[in-house]
Amino acid sequence: MTHPLSLKIGITGVRGIAGQSLTPQLVTSFAAAFGTYCGSGPVIIGTDTRPSREMVTHAAIAGLLSVGCTPVSLGIVPLPVLQHHVRRTAAVGGICITASHNPLEWNALKFVGPDGMALRPNQFAELTDLYHQGVYPRVTAQRITNCQTDDSAIAAHRETVLTAVNEVAIRSRHFKAALDCCNGAASAAAPEFLRALGCEVVPIHTEPEKGFPRDPEPIAENIDELRRLVKEAGAEVGFALDADGDRLALVNERGEALGEDCTIALVADHALGRRGGPVVVSMSTSRLVEDAAARHNSVVYRTKVGEVHVLERMYALGSRVGGEGNGGVILPAINPCRDSFVGMAFVLEALAENRAKLSELRNRLPAYSMIKQKLGCRSRDVLPFLRLVRHLFRDEEMDLTDGVRVLWPDRWIHVRGSNTESVIRIIAEAPTEADARQLVQRVMEYLRPPEV
Amino acid sequence: MRELKISTSWVRGVVGDALTPELAVNFACAFGTWAEGSPVALGRDTRRSSVMLRSAVVAGLMSTGCDIIDLGICPTPLVSFAVRELGCAGGIAVTGSHNDSEWNALKFIGPDGALLNTVRGEELLDIYHASVFASKPCGHLHLSQGSPGMVTRYVEHLFAALDADAIRERKYRIVIDFCNGACGGITALFLRELNCELLPVNDAPRDTFAHPPAPTPANMIDLLPEMRVTHADLGAAVNVDGDRIAFVTNEAFPLSEEFTLPLAALGRLARRPGVIVTSLSTSRMIEAVARSRGQHVIRTSVGESYVMDRGLIEGAVLAGEGSGGVGALPFTSTFDALLTLGILLETMATRDSSIGELARELPHLAMRKGELPCQPDQAYRAVESLRVNYESQQPDCTDGIRVEWEDSWLHVRVSTTEPLLRVIVEAESEDRADELYQEAMGMARRAAGREKGV
Repeated sequence: MTHPLSLKIGITGVRGIAGQSLTPQLVTSFAAAFGTYCGSGPVIIGTDTRPSREMVTHAAIAGLLSVGCTPVSLGIVPLPVLQHHVRRTAAVGGICITASHNPLEWNALKFVGPDGMALRPNQFAELTDLYHQGVYPRVTAQRITNCQTDDSAIAAHRETVLTAVNEVAIRSRHFKAALDCCNGAASAAAPEFLRALGCEVVPIHTEPEKGFPRDPEPIAENIDELRRLVKEAGAEVGFALDADGDRLALVNERGEALGEDCTIALVADHALGRRGGPVVVSMSTSRLVEDAAARHNSVVYRTKVGEVHVLERMYALGSRVGGEGNGGVILPAINPCRDSFVGMAFVLEALAENRAKLSELRNRLPAYSMIKQKLGCRSRDVLPFLRLVRHLFRDEEMDLTDGVRVLWPDRWIHVRGSNTESVIRIIAEAPTEADARQLVQRVMEYLRPPEV
Repeated sequence: MRELKISTSWVRGVVGDALTPELAVNFACAFGTWAEGSPVALGRDTRRSSVMLRSAVVAGLMSTGCDIIDLGICPTPLVSFAVRELGCAGGIAVTGSHNDSEWNALKFIGPDGALLNTVRGEELLDIYHASVFASKPCGHLHLSQGSPGMVTRYVEHLFAALDADAIRERKYRIVIDFCNGACGGITALFLRELNCELLPVNDAPRDTFAHPPAPTPANMIDLLPEMRVTHADLGAAVNVDGDRIAFVTNEAFPLSEEFTLPLAALGRLARRPGVIVTSLSTSRMIEAVARSRGQHVIRTSVGESYVMDRGLIEGAVLAGEGSGGVGALPFTSTFDALLTLGILLETMATRDSSIGELARELPHLAMRKGELPCQPDQAYRAVESLRVNYESQQPDCTDGIRVEWEDSWLHVRVSTTEPLLRVIVEAESEDRADELYQEAMGMARRAAGREKGV
């Protein structure tokens, strides 16, 4: 099976099917370009648990060494741990080898700047310019440095997150927490983290060599096993992580999946209770965040989809909490990136300080229904499609920051081209599932009229 | 300077703009495609750049679906041994070998443990140039695993080729300069088992070398003083990946690397009579030794892959060159410094002779070696002019031009590693050597210079 269009070079990194479109040649050259961009110095490398990780790691190491950088390998680590490590050790950059939610045979390079943040769009454009010029200032044999390893990253990150929450209050509750790591990058780090918070951990899918047992996206339909586990074990909370450990979805004590878009709302609700301020989320995030912010008289700002866009706006506004509807939670004072560990710690703190069950915390906010749909679409067809959508909703209130987002008082729909796959993403949220489905249906039928 | 050399059995170059990790990835992908996804053995020397190139090779091999037997820092002959022992499709040694430290190379080894011969090497180059590589979607994790016990098995394998008991009785004291390469540890093990005392020089594996790695008298500046002080039975210099060796006598007299092959032949032919294969550039000392044992010598183009390939075909007992690289067949299919050392110790022990006495058994011949820097077109014209001039002598034109007389010979060829012409002359007397050298050099210079002057 060939995927001629499987290579995606975009702000989320360089992504493809390992060995097929993500070849070792491409990885080596991109790593050399990145090393050229960062300048000589330590570059942190970490991976998730995909079987191609060794191949991609070695190719990246070779490219980095050739331009005088010192690769520092962390082995298997969650993405937020790598980003934290880059900043903590004052490295010149980082490369995380993970395709996040893509299927197992994919892999990707995610480039991290010295501030621990993913490269911004303009920085990434400079990097791809270097790559396309294809001339990297190689160092001579005498100036090549050696590879290093560092196994302190996970513990150091844990320390940072623990000092940011009310550790005593959490520990005293001895929570029973179920955990599904999808056999991903957090398989070792997450159970340890929860135990450090006094939790009794009931884990599944924490075996990094076994491949992904489920679709890595922590959406409700993928985490039935965790839901059963929560009920059987009588856990107070269930945490579902994605393969690179940056996204978090929750299961309440009754074994109900809250939906990955709920995570940022609950964390924002709790964080704003500590200290208010603006909240920043992306266009595709549930309006639950608006409801949570309203409880604390805070304002919600929306940006284009993508961690960098959210973070940039957060810095501009001095926002202390933000994230995305995909389960990404960002508290920049702790770690300026999507961090599922920060999310877990805040949820536990909310449970501890409110002396409430997770279902009770959730029920402080209204209920909505969200429908997410993918529609296969070649890149060149994305803009014409979006034009059609604009035409369809031409009389409604519209936000064109990223694709088309149409707003009504109690519902919205967002249609945009994906950064990571050749698809159009359609997301609608409404008071009932039928309403949401009807919105999506309207767009689908307009784009692909039913055959007569 | 951008220096890249690609032959059928290796790709070597100056690390930086010429020998890049992308090039190494491409060659590893070509090799993995050639190996059809079977396991490949991998070793490297101690150079800094070897770490980078090794990573590039690992990535390339994995992407073509090959599992990797990773031998870490090790001599090239060990990679060769592992390939045969484990039935690998081939092996890659990341080593600049005798080249200076700014250079590095990938040496490609076939399933027989020998450097790729021209037929196999051309297949590899065709795949490389076509740039269509096998691509296995990484459905499972490709292992890069060590092979514990391989060093011990290798050393035991060498003992089977030697009269180890004869050596053990002598309790030799031996000084060896390892040039901070890959051979210190394995040689210590080998000599301990042979009841010898090793007095090591520059034995710590380091990413920079104490001196240039070619084992020649010029690079024995650390070795000779140690020999004078210790009065050891034998001195030796080994290159960083253990395929070449040169010796120093018990009187601390340095022997040129040309002595290695005839010294090995002195005792070896008595134990295992047979044909010897060497290159056109190697000293005639080997013919003298072979003749005295009733054996004969076959000469091939210069380079280990030619010499060893012919050795395997002829069923030779020794194959080696004037560079100090010698292999004893069928025990090894590469040049192997450790086995050569063992053979010399065996010869000393069974003949009850010192290394100095053995060296004095060899005929005294005068050798002159020189280089004439010139571009490839000038070089070929110079060779042609020599061929015309010596036509009546019926020169051998296998590799450049080799002319033979009763008391002397000359060999002029184009270097495969540098833009220059190599001139080698050997004669029974110093005067004749000088005369022949001046004659050949002058002719070559005029031929090249005349072209340049026009």
